Amino acid sequence: MNGKLYWKQKIPLLILNGTSMAALTVFLLLNGINGDSLILILIVWGVVFAGYLAATYLFRKSRMDKLLSLAEQLEERYLLPEMMERPIRADDQVFYQLLRLSGKSMLEQVSGAKREQDEYREYIEQWIHEIKTPITAMKLICENHRSDVSKDLLVELEQINRYTEQALFYARSEHPEKDYLIREIRLFDVVHQAIAENRYLLRQYNVQIVLTETDDIVYSDEKWLCFILNQLIANAVKYRTESPQIRFFAEQNGNEVSLCIADNGIGIIDSDLPRIFEKGFTGENGRNASQAATGIGLYLCKRLCDKLGIGLTAISNDETVFKLSFHINDLIHQVQG
Amino acid sequence: MAVYKIMIIEDDPVIRTELKNMLRGNGYDAVTVSDFSKTIQEVIELAPHLIILDIKLPVADGFSLCSEIRTFSDVPIVFVTSCNTDMDELNSIMLGGDAYITKPYNTAILLAKIASLLKRAYPTGNQEVIPYQNTFLHLESSKLEFNGQQTDLTKNELKIMYYLYKNAGKICSRNDLIDFLWDNQLYVDDNALSVNINRIRDKLASIGLHDFIKTRHRQGYFI
Repeated sequence: MNGKLYWKQKIPLLILNGTSMAALTVFLLLNGINGDSLILILIVWGVVFAGYLAATYLFRKSRMDKLLSLAEQLEERYLLPEMMERPIRADDQVFYQLLRLSGKSMLEQVSGAKREQDEYREYIEQWIHEIKTPITAMKLICENHRSDVSKDLLVELEQINRYTEQALFYARSEHPEKDYLIREIRLFDVVHQAIAENRYLLRQYNVQIVLTETDDIVYSDEKWLCFILNQLIANAVKYRTESPQIRFFAEQNGNEVSLCIADNGIGIIDSDLPRIFEKGFTGENGRNASQAATGIGLYLCKRLCDKLGIGLTAISNDETVFKLSFHINDLIHQVQG
Repeated sequence: MAVYKIMIIEDDPVIRTELKNMLRGNGYDAVTVSDFSKTIQEVIELAPHLIILDIKLPVADGFSLCSEIRTFSDVPIVFVTSCNTDMDELNSIMLGGDAYITKPYNTAILLAKIASLLKRAYPTGNQEVIPYQNTFLHLESSKLEFNGQQTDLTKNELKIMYYLYKNAGKICSRNDLIDFLWDNQLYVDDNALSVNINRIRDKLASIGLHDFIKTRHRQGYFI
């Protein structure tokens, strides 16, 4: 509580008391009271008045401080009206009522917006599942009727699929825990799967794939991991140089297994490197790319990795290397015997 | 080799037809279900070797069909679906599905899964040696035999030779060869293919087999 302001607002009361004291003095003097009695009366008045002022000030201050500290402690501050005591003073009660009313209406608004958002998210997920039927049909038609045209179409279909997956995972990234299936997976099985999902793109640009295959096992969600690899592969192709190459290899450091995806593309300049996982960040490469960068792909990868407990780092020297680090959890081995 | 009969239970007519064509093109006999109120009856009547089952279907969904089929048959069942939620995947495994593939599926992956399921369900044990003229391609030991002499082949070389043997007498374009290798998770590019072919030719020459793989300019290779 602002003390200065509080006292400023007490000025009328002080003036009132001052005037009353003056009037009383005049009245008593006219009635012939002696000086000592007058001073005594004025002192008693003054002490009682000052005592009253000090007591109300301290009382108010302690109440307000309590409310402030309550608000400070609450994680969700909008719950304050529920938590605070009902005030005693009549005008405070009015404010209390107002606070409760506005809080309630705000909650209604928020839950309405949340419901709408959930419904929209559900719709998006459903839509994505529906769009996959025609994509599958087109893919099958193209593969059954191979020609130069169908090859080009297949590249585009892969791209459509990548974008729809991106939308699906974006919608899901809010609550990934609803969609986990952590299993024992062979790291390079997922790599093969991701390459298969991008094969027409990779073949179109004659990308050389170098695999140093190992039998490393990790515990993660295959579907999510595959999505992350898809995005990284698509990026590597997008920012390729002549005679593009992508290398996949695994590294073991202590209690970590890392899957590295290295490409010989145009690289990422040092000043951009710390920001590539930010949402909407496109950087130097994104601006110059033939296809405009959206700044979503890597952001989503990072977000999913965070949720899955996978470390994702990028280095760019001679090659651009994205490293996915998995913890090896001995506990799981023990549990499984 | 017996021709395996694969039943497609899928409600989208375009996918159904194209999947049927694709499977027929890959040496399988494919049948489809169009009246979904009699699915189970058709499964019993046609007795397929493998079933490709969609989850979202009219009348009864894939899960209930699967558990019903499991009451009388152990036929391998491949679930295909556009809903790639983990609950679906878990359900399909719990109810006795053998594989789970999400749309849009990669045909190579689908075919590989089908082949491995069929191999597991109906072991035949043959198919290890493919003869052509007076040469033999040993698939298990990855060797090529001519006149009693053998030469070892690498994984890439074996797959290339396998494709050429399978299409013996026909011209195989470089593109088709590379596609086939990619289907088998061997990511060979144009240059590497030439290198591999040359290496095979050297190996074949060392066992006295000259000009076995012929080149047709701008078209491809054939044996």
